Amino acid sequence: MAMKSKEYYAEIESVYKKPEDYELAGKGNAYVRVDAEAKVTGRGIYTADVDLPGMYYCKLVHSPYAHALIKSIDFTEALKVPGVKGVLTGKDFPEGHNLGNPEAFKELADKEPLCREKVRMVGDEVAAVCATTEEIAEEAAALVKVEYEPLEPVLNPFDAMEVDAPAVHYPNAGDGTSSNLSIFTVMNAGDPDKSFAEAYYTDKHHYRTQEMVHAAIEPHGAVAKYENGEWTVWTTTQGAYVSRYWIAWGLGVPESQVRLIKPMVGGGFGGKLDVFAHELCPCKFAQMTGHPVKCILERDEVFMCTRTRHPISFEIEAAVSKEGKLLAKRCKHILDGGAYGGSGIAANTLSLICATFPYKVENLDMHARRPYTNHPASGAMRGYSACQVHFAHEIHMDEIANDLGMDPLEIRRINGITPYYTGPTGLEFTSCKFDECLVACAEAIDWEHRDKYPIGSGEAVGLSGSGFMSGTGFPVLVTPHYCSSSTVVRLNREGYAVVFSGANDIGQGCDTVMTMIVAEELGLRMDEVKLIQSDTTATPWDAGSFGSRVTFLGGNACRRAVGDAKLKLLSHWAEEWGCKPSDIKMKDHRVFIEGDAEKNISYNEACFGYEEKNFGRCVAGVGSFAHEGDKDIYVKNVGNYATAYSFSASAAKVKVDMETGAVDLQDFVFGHDCGRPLNIRAVEGQIEGSVLLGFGFSCYEECIYDENGKHMNPSFRDYRFPTALDMPPIKTVICSEHDPEGPMGAKEAGEGSTAPVGSAIGNAINYATGLTLRELPITPERLWRALKEHEKTGKTEFGAEDLNERFAKMPPLPKRD
Amino acid sequence: MKRIISFKLNGEDVEEYVQDNITMLDFLRKQMHLTGTKKGCGEGECGACTILLDGAAVDSCLMLAVEADGHEIVTIEGVQQDGVLHPLQQEFIDKWALQCGFCTPGMIMSALSLLHENPHPTELEIRDAIAGNLCRCTGYAKIVEAIDSAAKILEKEAKA
Amino acid sequence: MTLPKFDYIAAGSLEEASGLASQHAENAMLMAGGTDIIVLMKDRALTDVKTVIDLKKIPDLEKLEFVEGDGLHVGALTKLFAIQTSSVVKEKMPAVADAAHYVASAQVRRKGTMAGNICNASPSADTAPILISMGAVVKTYSKDGGREIPVGEFFTGVKKTVLEKEKGEIVTEIVIPELKSQEGSAYFKHSVRKAMDLAIIGVAAWIKMDGKKVADCRITMGGVGITPLRAFNAEKLLKGQEITEDLLEKAGVAASQECSPISDVRASAEYRADMVRVYTKRAVKKALETMKA
Repeated sequence: MAMKSKEYYAEIESVYKKPEDYELAGKGNAYVRVDAEAKVTGRGIYTADVDLPGMYYCKLVHSPYAHALIKSIDFTEALKVPGVKGVLTGKDFPEGHNLGNPEAFKELADKEPLCREKVRMVGDEVAAVCATTEEIAEEAAALVKVEYEPLEPVLNPFDAMEVDAPAVHYPNAGDGTSSNLSIFTVMNAGDPDKSFAEAYYTDKHHYRTQEMVHAAIEPHGAVAKYENGEWTVWTTTQGAYVSRYWIAWGLGVPESQVRLIKPMVGGGFGGKLDVFAHELCPCKFAQMTGHPVKCILERDEVFMCTRTRHPISFEIEAAVSKEGKLLAKRCKHILDGGAYGGSGIAANTLSLICATFPYKVENLDMHARRPYTNHPASGAMRGYSACQVHFAHEIHMDEIANDLGMDPLEIRRINGITPYYTGPTGLEFTSCKFDECLVACAEAIDWEHRDKYPIGSGEAVGLSGSGFMSGTGFPVLVTPHYCSSSTVVRLNREGYAVVFSGANDIGQGCDTVMTMIVAEELGLRMDEVKLIQSDTTATPWDAGSFGSRVTFLGGNACRRAVGDAKLKLLSHWAEEWGCKPSDIKMKDHRVFIEGDAEKNISYNEACFGYEEKNFGRCVAGVGSFAHEGDKDIYVKNVGNYATAYSFSASAAKVKVDMETGAVDLQDFVFGHDCGRPLNIRAVEGQIEGSVLLGFGFSCYEECIYDENGKHMNPSFRDYRFPTALDMPPIKTVICSEHDPEGPMGAKEAGEGSTAPVGSAIGNAINYATGLTLRELPITPERLWRALKEHEKTGKTEFGAEDLNERFAKMPPLPKRD
Repeated sequence: MKRIISFKLNGEDVEEYVQDNITMLDFLRKQMHLTGTKKGCGEGECGACTILLDGAAVDSCLMLAVEADGHEIVTIEGVQQDGVLHPLQQEFIDKWALQCGFCTPGMIMSALSLLHENPHPTELEIRDAIAGNLCRCTGYAKIVEAIDSAAKILEKEAKA
Repeated sequence: MTLPKFDYIAAGSLEEASGLASQHAENAMLMAGGTDIIVLMKDRALTDVKTVIDLKKIPDLEKLEFVEGDGLHVGALTKLFAIQTSSVVKEKMPAVADAAHYVASAQVRRKGTMAGNICNASPSADTAPILISMGAVVKTYSKDGGREIPVGEFFTGVKKTVLEKEKGEIVTEIVIPELKSQEGSAYFKHSVRKAMDLAIIGVAAWIKMDGKKVADCRITMGGVGITPLRAFNAEKLLKGQEITEDLLEKAGVAASQECSPISDVRASAEYRADMVRVYTKRAVKKALETMKA
């Protein structure tokens, strides 16, 4: 077997600071965010703030149809408007250069920069206009006349899988399968049939989650300029390198000719991973006009034309022993993929991986299908697939417990994953504090006395658990050794260090994490570490901010880079002082051997001395990190998906207005195993934000479409996410343990923490009302409807009621070649 | 039409030639190059563009620039005085009350207005004052904490 | 979206504003706080506006005065935030402060006015139901002198009022009669979020007691018709009766049957009607609980 990177980096890792010497890592108030002052003064520059002389503005023309052929595009009137500088249509981009994600599945890339012959969703971009002002561009865009021939849209994923369904992309092959089923994923283990045959208890239930959007407060946008045959693009991206790859591909130019700079990004949540028309059109216009061009989406465009969270329909069967042990699961997940693939193509796999988390289930029969429909494209969203899956599977867990007469806390505890467990499909867990998370939540919410809220009384508490990958290893682009991230650190004899990090800070704070890691290792102050970040010309490769990977993979790469520099520096002084490099400490701007006053110099002197000896050559280090897997994980779904896994538990206290259906979330407790928290306040911040997302997901947020596929609520007024008045007090309990693989022992906080929120609230609502609700969102009206019907007919189970039939009639899985 | 308006902007008297139909938000960002005031929706639903009009927090996207004539406007760029951060700004930093930072300027302007009107707000009053400022990152917890803490610091300063 | 082209005029007096409004008639739009009309113009829901007439430079329109034995005088330029936070309003007619507080966000309330809220004539306007239930009157100015219009007669349809555009009629003041002994009022808004939402429905109640019996009452429902609607049948059921849970339920049912809601992206007609039932009960109850001794 090839050498593992652990061995390759062993010497470098030998000079890492020991946990007992940490001065910054794991502390709450030892330092502040490196970008905080820029943000509180309004001086931080986001994409829309990039203001260049002679700037032109670009506006896009969108399809009003969910499915139609483009018969003609007439832009003569638009061109007549004074100030208009040009119009683009699909033909201005090289044919076949479709946008998608990732590189390895480039043949599946399906989104034209501007649609050529067909539109597949309301909002699909068909043309773009460039003008001297935003007003003129808007006026001219409205004058572009597009003639369409409307086609029948397909808006339901089950309909889309029918053989005679309208074809969203490719004509049907005539082999009895629908061409809309672009991706399906199978995951099997053990002997599920035997388990089901022998089990004390089996069940089958259906669940459904809705379409949700990321709703970052910063709208998507881009600014492009073209000089000396090279584009510079400032854009709202979560991954500068990946965006650069697809922009270059979409333009049909080499990657060497596109420089991508990620300015501050006002939130991503997965919505800014893919490349869009609003990034390619300004590039093209910049080349055509010689002027910089800006294109910032309006809020309704962000809602309609970017990405959404996959709605998922679930069929879940469980086989359980008398003692409540999960023996086997059979699940079918149907994901509404919407019109395009993009970052959405990982959704199936993630939904299956998460389906057993955070429990041990040895026998599995699972598959997921993601048909195309004429809804907006579904993509990655924070807690990717996990939020939906943990809603369904964790509501289901309470149903099992209640059927067996067990305590829902107890059934979770006896099934929970334990440290260093290996799952049946090859997932290799490391540290795990799931049980501690559960117990902490149960204690804080006073689970023991939950009977003080009788079932159906309108008040109750609910619990749930989850797990998530810490650092999705998949690097999106094709890289050597599956490398996910690399970093360069340079030590300066003038008393500071520079870290060149490709990690993409989108608000989560990784700029601060990288700075802290370097400061910690070198014994420098935070402000003595200068960060150069996410610029494809200045910083090394990083795959992007997704899959809770940045702290883990980027942080490890950064630590290896600073370790490399540190090893060089300390090896020099070890030789001078006659000791081992690991005997030398770096702290408070000093380099020294503890207890030896003679061997104690400043950081500046140490760097100067090294350069003196090496003909002026400065100290620099390079580090990289990859999840040591192979691609079978991503193709065959066997093996280990990530280097570590995080675990969470949630507990919610709700009060339901039994007359109106309104849910008041009164209290929330979150237990999170994030490994060592690199900064406690940052971890708490991630968790508090997760609770907002999870609460919105469970009770408020939903994209509503009319029968023609038109988005009916594309505004913050009608797409409601919680305000400060709606949010409960949140108690965070960090159940941490140093993870052996994580940077300074950290795992992840941010994505996994969104996953158990919805189901804790859902379970609490179910106890408060005495009903079983299996579909999201539980809006006041939906809950009111259930309560009314219960009053009339005594019915207790609601939601996803059509799914039994839909799953039963679903066509069989296509054969895999 | 266009007209000249005079008003105070971040403490300075200014005279500007403005279009009748431009919002204060677009005027600040495009004409004055004050990009600290953010555009999240343009419809008064997110609060990212909050500024002070005669000391009171309003959405600059729901205001015409010409309405400023004879009035006083303060944007986030005018909050720091003589190079010293306002206690609210300092508390947002110290309490980690921001993540992506896009809502932060508006949040601080709403908080400034609140503390001006009500120097000793309860937690509920703080939440009510920022209910028009949407934040997708923080769950508001640390923002509420920072505003509460700044109120206490300002009170101490006032007493001293 | 950027705003369509229009000319802006800051009128210095009522006479000037009225003259301009009548001169530009259909193409003129009066502006107080502007928080509604700017959005409507951006969304192109208001078309053909060629002239925006700003009233904010007109003197004496920003009053908020409580006159004992009479009531609360709210100027056309008085901001919702001032009403919401006024200690006098909170003491003398808390339901009016509540209704003002329910509107949108603090930022909108610091600029938006009560007069603007009703002149915009959205069926779900938060201040309309309580003004109708309290028997408030709108005072107007126009070139032939102006008039007093009960708020209950002010609305004629979605975005439509009795104001005579061609006469340049302008609202100058809203007068809300004071609560006398044995009178109480309340307003509830039902929405998904606790702020920022448009009302799914709103119900305002004003009640006058005679000992244990209801001497008179007015119940107004918002968001369930093209204008705010009085629940006359529910009122009839309550009048002359002692209030019991049972009677409240009957009144709620009556109100839910006499409203005419629509289904839209925010709620179904069915849900709106039932929420009218629920909140009619709650509003009457609260009016009773907060009644002036």
